[in-house]
Amino acid sequence: MHELVDRSLKDEEFEEREDDDMLICRCEEITKGEIRRAVHDGMYTMAEIRRYLRCTMGLCQGQTCAKLVKGIVAKELGVSPDKLEPATSRSPMRPTEMYIIANEEK
Amino acid sequence: MEVRIKEHPILGEVKKGRLVKFTHDGQVFEGYEGEPIAVALKAAGVLVHRYTEKKHSPRGVFCAIGRCTDCVMIVNGEPNIRTCVTPLKEGMTVDTQYGTSDEPFVKELKEAK
Amino acid sequence: MERYDLIVIGAGPSGLSAGIEAAKAGASVIIFDENEKPGGQLFKQIHKFFGSKEHRAKVRGFNIGYQLLKEADEAGAKVELLATVLGIYQDKEVVVKIKDGIKHYKADSIIVATGAAENMVPFKGWTLPGVIGAGAAQTMLNLHGILPGKKVLMLGSGNVGLVVSYQLKQCGCDVVALVDAAPRIGGYGVHAAKISRMGIPFYLPYTIKKVEGTDHVTGVTIAKLDPSFKFIEGTEMHFDVDTVCVAVGLSPMSQLLKMAGCKMEDNPRKGGQVPIIDEHGQTSIPGIFAAGDVSGIEEASSAMIEGRQAGIYAANYLGYIEDELMKEKEDELDKALDGLRQGMFAPSNRGKKIEKTEEGIDISNNLLAKGFVADEEIERFPGVVHKLGIHPVMECTQNIPCNPCQDACPKKCIKIGSKITSLPAVDESVDCIGCGMCVASCPGQAIFLVNENVGEGMAEITLPYEIYPLPEVGEKGIALSRAGHPLCIAEVIKVRTGLAFDKTAVLTIRVPKEFAMKARFYKNEKLAKSV
Repeated sequence: MHELVDRSLKDEEFEEREDDDMLICRCEEITKGEIRRAVHDGMYTMAEIRRYLRCTMGLCQGQTCAKLVKGIVAKELGVSPDKLEPATSRSPMRPTEMYIIANEEK
Repeated sequence: MEVRIKEHPILGEVKKGRLVKFTHDGQVFEGYEGEPIAVALKAAGVLVHRYTEKKHSPRGVFCAIGRCTDCVMIVNGEPNIRTCVTPLKEGMTVDTQYGTSDEPFVKELKEAK
Repeated sequence: MERYDLIVIGAGPSGLSAGIEAAKAGASVIIFDENEKPGGQLFKQIHKFFGSKEHRAKVRGFNIGYQLLKEADEAGAKVELLATVLGIYQDKEVVVKIKDGIKHYKADSIIVATGAAENMVPFKGWTLPGVIGAGAAQTMLNLHGILPGKKVLMLGSGNVGLVVSYQLKQCGCDVVALVDAAPRIGGYGVHAAKISRMGIPFYLPYTIKKVEGTDHVTGVTIAKLDPSFKFIEGTEMHFDVDTVCVAVGLSPMSQLLKMAGCKMEDNPRKGGQVPIIDEHGQTSIPGIFAAGDVSGIEEASSAMIEGRQAGIYAANYLGYIEDELMKEKEDELDKALDGLRQGMFAPSNRGKKIEKTEEGIDISNNLLAKGFVADEEIERFPGVVHKLGIHPVMECTQNIPCNPCQDACPKKCIKIGSKITSLPAVDESVDCIGCGMCVASCPGQAIFLVNENVGEGMAEITLPYEIYPLPEVGEKGIALSRAGHPLCIAEVIKVRTGLAFDKTAVLTIRVPKEFAMKARFYKNEKLAKSV
């Protein structure tokens, strides 16, 4: 990931594309165009993209789109997707209601 | 359209619980107790489970194993219930979810409902 | 807080196998699974498994599931269902959601066997109700007894796409096309041939341009791709469908391992983010192991062996198995696993184009591009011979690790030899008795019995058949070619359904003898009208 911290990597103007309106994150309803634009806004890591757009942070927790988002970001940065570290994995692994979390067995 | 399989060439007779009534958006339907709500809806011909918050686009069953959460609906008044993994019970109310509410977004949709 | 020697996460093929081995060695074991039912995907896999005896070949996936559950029960491994592991913390503390509460567990060793999740590919209209994962189709058909739709287009020609297309067709769905962006079919040729002769056309390299419909799917348009994956103008084809099924591969569900702090790598050959493991399946954290699809996408057969290995290594780590005994079991399982990792679909061959079989025979190009071996190609394979009287014709043309046919023949007229991936050959010095055991035992449904001349210009073909209603003796229908094209009228001579055939009916049809080497499926006329 360190090689991507170089923020000069991507300084071209954002160019609109025909498939920018394609929905990528089904839960948070984030499009390909929004993800591409986020890269031009300076979001280079999966963690940054996630916080900036909320994609992969919906009900499904990125089950469906994490790989797709990663592919788009990598392509925009001109690097191979395996160079991008996935965002941090945190508990709870599955959407869990607060009352359940509060109901902790002693 | 009959979508229920009665006898499967490999698995044999499809065994289900007893027939129970439930309502979908106020309309009474029948399904088998214990099967996922989504399956009972599919048999009743209901394909749209919800409309999304931002773009108001229709969604239905997508993964069928509780991962993608696209099939969530309002069940017994509670939103975001994954209908593909929640077993059907007698008398359940199952309503289309609009964003996270049971109130349709626009007037036209309200009238349709 | 409850304490166990070993916590296994995931009660699929590998998790159950791991739990069984560790419990048999004497460890106290609990297996958590978030689903209502154990077995992972096994209970949706209704086809007969490939491999050899030690891989439980020719047994259907769901029956393997029952066997594993029984074994787990006998070994004393506890399976806790509807138990979602929310996190793994320091010192192997596992936090689990059970019903409406949170419970804490602790173990000296953890085996993560969480399996995989389906990949998806976006296209116009992919969020419409009616676009589903292939796994969803399998779940609806085989667990809940409901058709996902009446007219289906399948995207993806890997084994999942091929097998699910077959399952849809088995239940009476019309699969209008199988589409893949790659120029070659990704899965086993025998799986492709099985659905091709049922009349499912393959379109490669094509992909979905758009799915149509306002509230749900009403149609789909596909188009051909050029080598740079751009649509070629003017190649669009439209199908009226109510369902589009997506089967574009799997990714390891490895987030728990990452969260636990295990060193990870992004390995495209293993399907994505996987833990870095040693030869014992141990991650960078001592005592935490990974087994099955979570450590690299493979078949369920391999997952079961990896699970057993992890269970044995964990038992050794915990002090229940001596090094020597471990080594002994390890060698045996390594051999079984190596057996499965051979042949043209071996993990090491992923993405490569194989031109010739291990025997030096040219691979059928038609099979790779269109899903069936062309009439002029079939004769070059060792399973295809001509002789007087009834004899097996084995249309097994790719090296895959599988040999049940060899053991199935009571007369020993089928030879594979000691190399499990070798193509089956017919021993022409032995006479076939037409028992049909090989026909029913072949997981790829690639074996036919042919009598090229039964007199009066007719021939008889015996073939595997798994669709209801079964044809009746004496009825007439249509014989289909390997491409699924109607060839001629066929009369049903025999329908056999013995227990030993395990739900594969063995059907004998009579056709004019010029079709002896061409007719490979039967469509009854009643069905012909409705489909």
